[in-house]
Amino acid sequence: MPTTDELNQWMRAVATSSDRLAFAALFRHFAPRLMSYLRRCGSPDAQAEELVQETMVILWRRAVTFDPAKAQLSTWLFTVARNVRISHLRRLAAGEAPAASADPCDQWDADLQAADQALGPHDQLLAAQRERGVRRALSVLPADQARVLQLSYFEEQSHARIAEELGIPLGTVKSRIRLAVAQLRRLLDGFDS
Amino acid sequence: MIIEHHPADEFLVRIAAGSLPGGESLLVSTHLEGCERCRDRLHLLQAVGGVLLDEIEPATMAPDAWVRTLARIDERESRFGGAALPLRAKASPSPPLALPGGMTWPSSLRDCKVSRWHWMGPGMHFARLSMPHDPAAALFLLRIAEGRHLPRHTHDGLELTQVLHGSFDDGRAVFGAGDFDAADADVHHQPVVTSGGECVCLAHVGGSLRFDGRIAATIGGWIGM
Repeated sequence: MPTTDELNQWMRAVATSSDRLAFAALFRHFAPRLMSYLRRCGSPDAQAEELVQETMVILWRRAVTFDPAKAQLSTWLFTVARNVRISHLRRLAAGEAPAASADPCDQWDADLQAADQALGPHDQLLAAQRERGVRRALSVLPADQARVLQLSYFEEQSHARIAEELGIPLGTVKSRIRLAVAQLRRLLDGFDS
Repeated sequence: MIIEHHPADEFLVRIAAGSLPGGESLLVSTHLEGCERCRDRLHLLQAVGGVLLDEIEPATMAPDAWVRTLARIDERESRFGGAALPLRAKASPSPPLALPGGMTWPSSLRDCKVSRWHWMGPGMHFARLSMPHDPAAALFLLRIAEGRHLPRHTHDGLELTQVLHGSFDDGRAVFGAGDFDAADADVHHQPVVTSGGECVCLAHVGGSLRFDGRIAATIGGWIGM
């Protein structure tokens, strides 16, 4: 598993010198994970393959916008893949051909989170610091909370369906999410101090 | 602007995960534009997505995935130019309809089609919003004059409201600019616009909306709920 520094170096090489070897290394690491993520979100194989390719194309074309001080690469790529998937589903819903009639990067730009842009430089730095603690915080979350959180991200399930699957009331799903988020925030604050 | 009412964490988790349906997601995005606290939480929840992506069991790709990705890049570069394109600056959208002085139009609404203001009673107007990819979403803007109240109503689904300008009091609490509210079917409320000028809200209604009384029912039918 490559380190954060390695991933960031590869990304810089892609951004500054269109380095295809660095891109290949990023592809080897992320493409199979993105494939797994998109499948679990309910994309059939062919669609998941398409969306992984599209996500990696955006990584290539938008590498210059990635700022390691602002976010971890896996977080950045997670949001890219999520947006690629949403745009794809939206185009299908609107009855448009999924073919790329416009540069999908434009689509992605339009979808860029207001959230990312509106953080001040100080908050961005803080965000990157806190992010490194997230892995640690997640690993110590009580199992039932972690499970609900994971299902929320990966199974494209409404919270009502998660409740059904786990055999717990909807209110419990919501309260576990609330507890999980509160617990994550508490743990991160603890790591900071 | 002090924001006192925020979307519950479950909304932010679903925004981060990308599973919140169009209409609801629009309401929460509009809230996020003005709320640093929720943007901070969203960042945390996106980082959770990043960690989960890192830790997921990798799946096997088709053998030609790499070659097809490179072909896609070449095709894209020949049509749209090199990789290091600068981000296009987002023009701040100009409001598609008349707004009270001092109110800005949220950029989250830039892709919506917006009707003109329709009169629905003295001092009360509404406009329909429609999202290109989710035209059926029951989204609308309400513009209510100071001291006026909406007809008392209930809904079987969740009613989400984001206050864009001014404030209202629905008997449970006062909601001011930037505040977000989710009222479920148990809530039977009659929002009153408090002093300090007109109130403009963005609302999304799941299920059907019912107003009390004959005239109110007519209005409800006219809005198309």
